[in-house]
Amino acid sequence: MTVQASAPLALRWHRFFGGRLTLVVGLAILLFFLLVAIAAPLIAPYDPILQGADVRLQAPTWLHPFGTDNFGRDILSRVIWGTRIDLQIAVIGVLFPFLIGTTVGTVAGFFGGPVDAIFMRLVDIILAFPFLVLMLSIIAILGPGLGSFYIAMALVGWVSYARLIRAQMLVLKNSDYAVAAVSLGFSRARIMFRHLLPNAIAGSLVFSMSDAVLVLLSGAAVSYLGLGVQPPVAEWGVMVAEGQSFVTTAWWITLFPGLSIVCLAFGFSMLGDALGEVFGVHE
Amino acid sequence: MHRYRFILTRPLQFVPVLFGISVITFILVRLIPGDPVRNILGTRATPTAIANIRAQYGLDEPLWLQYFYFLRNLANGEMGKSILYKIDVLKLILTRIEPTVALVASSVVLSVLIAVPLAAIAARSNGRAPDHIIRIVSTFGIGFPPFWLGLMLIILFSVDLGWLPVSGYGSTIGEKAAHLLLPSLTIALSLSTVLTRSLRTAMIEGLKSDVATAVRARGMPERTVFWRHVLPNSLLPTINLLAVNIGWLIGGTVVVETVFALPGMGQLLVRAIFSRDYMVVQGVAMVFACATVFINFIADIATVAVDPRVRL
Amino acid sequence: MNDPILSVRDLTVKAHLPDGVRTLIDAISLDVRKGEIVGLVGESGSGKSLFCRSLVRLMPSSRLRIESGSVLLEGRDLTAVSDAEMLKVRGAEIGMIFQNPTSHLDPVMSIGDQIAEGIRYHQGASARDARAAAVDILSQVGLPDPARQYDSYAHEFSGGMRQRAMIGVALSCDPKILVADEPTTALDVTIQAQILRLLMEIRDRRGLSIILITHDLGVVAQTCDRIAVLRGGRLLEEGPKRTVLSTPRDPYTVSLIASHPSIAAEGGPAPAEAAPIAATIRPLLEVDDLHVRFASGGGLFGARGKPVSAVAGVSLRIMPGESVGVVGESGSGKSTLARAILGLTPLSSGHVSFEGVDLAQQKNAALFKLRHEAAMVFQDPYNALNPRMRIGDMLAEVLRVQGATPVAEIPARIGALLDLVGLEREFADRKPRSMSGGQCQRAGIARALAVDPKLIIADECVAALDVTIQAQIVELFRALKRKMNLTLIFIAHDLAIVRNLCDRVVVMYRGEVVEEGLCAEVFARPKHPYTAALIAAIPDIDPDRPLLADIRCDPPPASPHILERLP
Repeated sequence: MTVQASAPLALRWHRFFGGRLTLVVGLAILLFFLLVAIAAPLIAPYDPILQGADVRLQAPTWLHPFGTDNFGRDILSRVIWGTRIDLQIAVIGVLFPFLIGTTVGTVAGFFGGPVDAIFMRLVDIILAFPFLVLMLSIIAILGPGLGSFYIAMALVGWVSYARLIRAQMLVLKNSDYAVAAVSLGFSRARIMFRHLLPNAIAGSLVFSMSDAVLVLLSGAAVSYLGLGVQPPVAEWGVMVAEGQSFVTTAWWITLFPGLSIVCLAFGFSMLGDALGEVFGVHE
Repeated sequence: MHRYRFILTRPLQFVPVLFGISVITFILVRLIPGDPVRNILGTRATPTAIANIRAQYGLDEPLWLQYFYFLRNLANGEMGKSILYKIDVLKLILTRIEPTVALVASSVVLSVLIAVPLAAIAARSNGRAPDHIIRIVSTFGIGFPPFWLGLMLIILFSVDLGWLPVSGYGSTIGEKAAHLLLPSLTIALSLSTVLTRSLRTAMIEGLKSDVATAVRARGMPERTVFWRHVLPNSLLPTINLLAVNIGWLIGGTVVVETVFALPGMGQLLVRAIFSRDYMVVQGVAMVFACATVFINFIADIATVAVDPRVRL
Repeated sequence: MNDPILSVRDLTVKAHLPDGVRTLIDAISLDVRKGEIVGLVGESGSGKSLFCRSLVRLMPSSRLRIESGSVLLEGRDLTAVSDAEMLKVRGAEIGMIFQNPTSHLDPVMSIGDQIAEGIRYHQGASARDARAAAVDILSQVGLPDPARQYDSYAHEFSGGMRQRAMIGVALSCDPKILVADEPTTALDVTIQAQILRLLMEIRDRRGLSIILITHDLGVVAQTCDRIAVLRGGRLLEEGPKRTVLSTPRDPYTVSLIASHPSIAAEGGPAPAEAAPIAATIRPLLEVDDLHVRFASGGGLFGARGKPVSAVAGVSLRIMPGESVGVVGESGSGKSTLARAILGLTPLSSGHVSFEGVDLAQQKNAALFKLRHEAAMVFQDPYNALNPRMRIGDMLAEVLRVQGATPVAEIPARIGALLDLVGLEREFADRKPRSMSGGQCQRAGIARALAVDPKLIIADECVAALDVTIQAQIVELFRALKRKMNLTLIFIAHDLAIVRNLCDRVVVMYRGEVVEEGLCAEVFARPKHPYTAALIAAIPDIDPDRPLLADIRCDPPPASPHILERLP
């Protein structure tokens, strides 16, 4: 193996970003949506829930670039404000499952034995339920709303992360440097958290990006079905549901929120692909 | 033949999972706020009916005993009555099963038919234009919410072009096929994005693999390398991938059936949730879960049949 | 005087990378005659594989291109023919076999079908004729039951049989020249000897020429007619085997020959006489009837299947200051033994005592002693180091956890450790990814030394390194042994290295110790047939000591099954 000499800084930047178009595109998209979400009160031209009887069902014009819905509300403003909620859904809906699942999976994978067996049985049982079915059932009990969605996600979504990191742990704990650490007297906690976990987590990070897409779509779907975000709050899934009856006459009500979902999801996917390349991970 | 021995032993491993499913469903329904009798019977119930239900479900007994009543009822095929439809839950589910099964099956078939050729084109032209296009399109496609995609397809095919019916199921095979086409296409398009990406990666790796090098070293042309060696090897993990995504697929049917008003189990579930028809929710959830376990088992059998290395 | 069947002239291959063009093969010229075996020798990165791939224009990446030169196969220049023509040359005129048969055989196609594929394509045979021809080839490569094994899959065979199958697949196209890219490197020594024999038989029977790529001069000495030495993409020296081996001209060739273990034993300094050990000194390590068993595969609910004995009744005694080699092939249990000794694998029965403290009976005390007074060095230099940690940080962490060095003195100690293993101090800031195999292995040794151990167990720690680097690491161990008065257990499958370094040797086979004694004794007069077979299978760099000549041993083999292991 040849030793790489240090390349000049300019060349390194070019190498990093030139081959990393996906990373740049993904980050740009996500950053864009983040800025929109933060700046919503400043950039939205209208109040998202303000109704206007005289401007109902108007096609896109300069005054209302995305048109208006059947309540006379400006679609552009609703899409902008909806960014806050949908971005929140994607982030919170991934964060808690990630934290819970990674912890459980690390412990289960490292210790093995009965601890592992119990957790993995639990994972199998939860995974037997189709994801959305289980989510809907839990939300049915807790009552509709975004809070119920987050709780349901936390209860259900951790299993994929647990499985993923456990599989990595099982492999890594037999690697020579792990065995070496044991022979050198390192404590188990030290080996697990300071040596194995940082090496194992790459796959989970990549997965979290495609999970973000899944969560975003699920949140939108749950809201579309009427069990998530409740009207009149502006959220992209709810907006598609509201526009469904007018889909032939006022196509803009469903088009723009849908496109927004697609674009945000695309940003996460691109970032996930880029991370996958960086870490050398495939799905 | 001994590779298939697991077919006999694996069902024993189902047992704890199936038990777990029943426990979770049981707990879910018990957690519903309010009077359990109301939840089972609805608001209009005669005292006799209430007393019967209390006895049948053991509602005055401790929780763990109620679980046994629950199991006993299940064993008798007794899953409660639907408040909304006023018939036994089991009967109700059986009437709704066909559209869902047809939808899932045709979605899987369609998605494979879409994904394999696309992935093959992308892999064989790796680095060039067709590959980039397919990559971008499939990455983009992952983010299409099925409910939105379904609506767009309805606009295009049913309203603008008038080729296909907007909703419903129909009664003859022909009608059913026509009604299933758009919903299946909706799910298939979404599923195929994931399949295409994964297959493409597998094929590209296959084309770079040692096996491919060795085959080329024997003077085989590229098409033989691809069709006889790379393709079969890259299809192997597809079975597993489909099985893993089955949960997602079934979830997709819930939404798609709602968009297209298909009278299947998914639509039943949504309606039941809204009308607080909890026995139906419980029944549908359990049926879906058991079906997933079963489908995964079939996928394992298929994997063993297709890959001679696998021992389960 | 036969004309060369293959004539390469000034072949140059360059890599077009984003940051510049690099020359990987630099104007190499080589001839191969009919029926000749040419050995292409070099270490990793020398370009020997790439050279052979260039012959058939099978470049591993589109960035690599043949810039100039010619490859004349019976008069035709292969660098100039069309791609379609090239397909006919590959396989049918120049065939290839590879180092790792497992990854090069299609896992979902039967072995027989893969052979038949070549026959049908190149000779246009029908399915039935192809099958018959394939079965014939399978018997030519020495498979015991060709008709039945036609339908077997690669994963059902052992390593040696897979390589035979791979040779069969190459022969299916009936080539004139066979390129064998390190065909035996991944195999056990005894199996290696058989495969080499097979290749020579095929050459004799079919009149093929063979280009044999290897890093092992012993293999070349035993099998080849001519030798070509490559380094950094350049041909340094070339000529008939005996000439090159006895009178090498290039200094690199000289160092290669000198690094070869069997030579060092002859000409080098005699291993130090084992100092007479007073009877009152306690052994450092005592292993008593050790058994380590694993459950293999599951039944119901993953319940224990049949137990496999990895170590089956091993007893050993190691005195302080000794260096003992443990030799065996794959599956002999030597690695499991090492890990059991250090308390890294649970013992099923028996005793391990370190300085009198029994691992089975005084577990905590024994483990404490082992963790602070013994250390291990591993085989794979990269897998043995945490890829995310810098060397200096890694050593610092070990020192902190061990607790023997005051915090303030840690940086100084790190420097001292690096000096001891021959790494420059700047390596403290480097990560394994940017270091070579040999450097990583030195870092691994530094980590072991950080414990300030009495005992070091080296588990095949030179197997993954180039020959010249191997020699350096062995030299390092020798120096450390003297300087620090270490007790060393050196596990290897290469007898020759053990002969150089160790006083005593223990030979293991299938979990048991079959022979034990002073190195010189065991090598000169092996008592067990397995040991004798092992010694006979080592390719000696002296061409006059042929491979697998006489399996002499004394007494004669009582259990012939040992020799049947050579299938």
